[in-house]
Amino acid sequence: MARAASRRPLSLQARSLFAAGIALAAFLGLTGFALDKAIYETLRSALQERLQSYVYGYLAASEVGRSRRWLPPEIGPDARFDRPDGDLYAVVIGPVEVDGVKAEEWRSPSALRATLPLTEKLKPGEVRFLGPVEASGIRLYIASLGVTWNNVKLTIHVAENAALLDDQLDVFRRTLLVYLGGLGALLLLLLLATLRWSLRPLRKVSTDLTRVERGERDRLSGDYPLELSRLAANINQFIDSERVHLSRYRNTLSDLAHSLKTPLAVMRNQLDSGESGEELRWTVLEQVGRMDQIVAYQLSRAATSGHTTFATPIPIEPYAEEVVASLEKVYRDRRVLCEFEIDAGARFYGEQGDLLELLGNLLENAFKWAKARVLLSARPLSGRDPRRPGLELVIEDDGPGIPADRIEHLLQRGVRGDERVQGHGIGLAIVQDLIKAYRGSLDVSPSTLGGAAFTLRFGVV
Amino acid sequence: MRILLVEDEAPLRETLAARLKREGFAVDTAADGEEGLYLGREVPFDVAIIDLGLPKMSGMELIQELRAVGQRFPIMILTARPSWQDKVSGFKQGADDYLVKPFHVEELLARINALVRRASGWTKPTLECGPIVLDTTAQTVKVNGSAADLTSYEYKVLEYLMLHAGELVSKADLTEHIYQQDFDRDSNVLEVFIGRLRRKLDPENALKPIETVRGRGYRFAIARSDNGAEKAEAARPAE
Repeated sequence: MARAASRRPLSLQARSLFAAGIALAAFLGLTGFALDKAIYETLRSALQERLQSYVYGYLAASEVGRSRRWLPPEIGPDARFDRPDGDLYAVVIGPVEVDGVKAEEWRSPSALRATLPLTEKLKPGEVRFLGPVEASGIRLYIASLGVTWNNVKLTIHVAENAALLDDQLDVFRRTLLVYLGGLGALLLLLLLATLRWSLRPLRKVSTDLTRVERGERDRLSGDYPLELSRLAANINQFIDSERVHLSRYRNTLSDLAHSLKTPLAVMRNQLDSGESGEELRWTVLEQVGRMDQIVAYQLSRAATSGHTTFATPIPIEPYAEEVVASLEKVYRDRRVLCEFEIDAGARFYGEQGDLLELLGNLLENAFKWAKARVLLSARPLSGRDPRRPGLELVIEDDGPGIPADRIEHLLQRGVRGDERVQGHGIGLAIVQDLIKAYRGSLDVSPSTLGGAAFTLRFGVV
Repeated sequence: MRILLVEDEAPLRETLAARLKREGFAVDTAADGEEGLYLGREVPFDVAIIDLGLPKMSGMELIQELRAVGQRFPIMILTARPSWQDKVSGFKQGADDYLVKPFHVEELLARINALVRRASGWTKPTLECGPIVLDTTAQTVKVNGSAADLTSYEYKVLEYLMLHAGELVSKADLTEHIYQQDFDRDSNVLEVFIGRLRRKLDPENALKPIETVRGRGYRFAIARSDNGAEKAEAARPAE
């Protein structure tokens, strides 16, 4: 087995799982990406709103003193502004006064230690949200507002450490991963189950076949789904035709052995009875002739197949042409004219060797007996199988014909209908065997040409 | 008549060759396809008998090769497998007749005679030239309705001349096609046969059927009675 050496193709299940796995990964990956994006945007815009509300919170809680400077509120809008380790930072740039000290910048207690990039001045009315911005080892989201507050020009920056949002995002991502992973695993399991369920009939066919191989069963039985029923039917046909073949081979072998026994017995008797000389010679000659015929007949049978299961349709005319060209050489002296009336749609479903054998034997017979004319007609018949039309072949001659009471005798296997013209007399027996193998029928009737008409029908109920 | 016999089974080849020689044929034998092809190319045979299952080159290939190099002599196929597929492909390659083994030598002889006769344009098994009628089936000769008593060799010489009636047949042709190769060609046996034939066919010396063309050979001088119309038919190319 050369195939065993090369890599075996992937199983159907592995293929389906592989393809579905890729699709699933792509789908879940994209879903995760989209959800991640969406939630980040949501978190960011929520943060923006919160930071802006802190900006306005500072503005609303503050005052402008008589020195026309901005006075920061006692406590910020969130406690985290007022703790030195807080992660919310506020910076106000502009003329400010803290505890009577004038300055150009105010920082919330949380922002005192950190060197924050919150030094830009914005024009009044300018609103900005940035982030995450990385500066001196800290990542920030920054909401800024430029404003003229009671005639004092101020720029207010409120920032939050990005780690907070990142933490939220991380929590969300972990949840997402757990859920999507679970979903993927669930889908894969479901897919596996579906696959096993849908491939079960295939496994059933294969175990049934194994049983047929082992001889536990005759054929594939049981209900198969629609997609497999035709395959099962074909396999059954194949099994049947193989079985017919096998029994044919057995029969042929036993026929051969049995039929050779008779002439052998006759010769042995003659030898035992002490006959000698001319009489013995004649007996031996006669029996050898008989054995010749038997062997020739069985050999011809061996050459025929009768396979119909996977036969391709073959046209009649080219093969008939070949046979007639051959016969016209052999029977050149007979000056027989062979005409064809072959319908263009006529097809033989079988082996070309078998068609040649049918045409050859019947046409040769016709050439032997004809006075001057042989006619071969072929036409399709509506058959038992709509995809496979039947076939009718008629071979006629204008010879003496066959008397009605001789026909039955002629159709008996091995009877030589032709004593006058030399030949093996086994042609018709082979034709009958072939017709039987193809489940066809043979009729012999008088022809309108004057001689005999052999009518063969195939593929008809 | 000179025959090429290509058969690999020695017993069959030898008995068949011996029988054919007894029947007055000149026989060349070959045991395989290549030898058969060599002989078939070099020697002007009247007919070839070729077994299909041959070593070195199959019978089918041999026939194809012989036809390809332009040899037109009739070919008889011998085969042990009587399937029509084989027969049809044999005829397609250029064979003219077939015989299934085992066969009766008489049938083979009858068929070979018919092949040779057809190849020279005679359609009927009796060759008629005026009052001389030669029956190739019974191997008898009648002159004006009464049987002429010929020996086997005399018959063969007359048959060859009548098959080629009207044509010049050289002495070499006659000796090659009728006698064995090792026959002494310089002897005057042929002249003796021709002389006897003339006396037996034409004791009154009125018909003068066999003409001597001095230094070149002989010609059967009486025209064919079937006017040779079949010549064209016989020369039809092989399908």
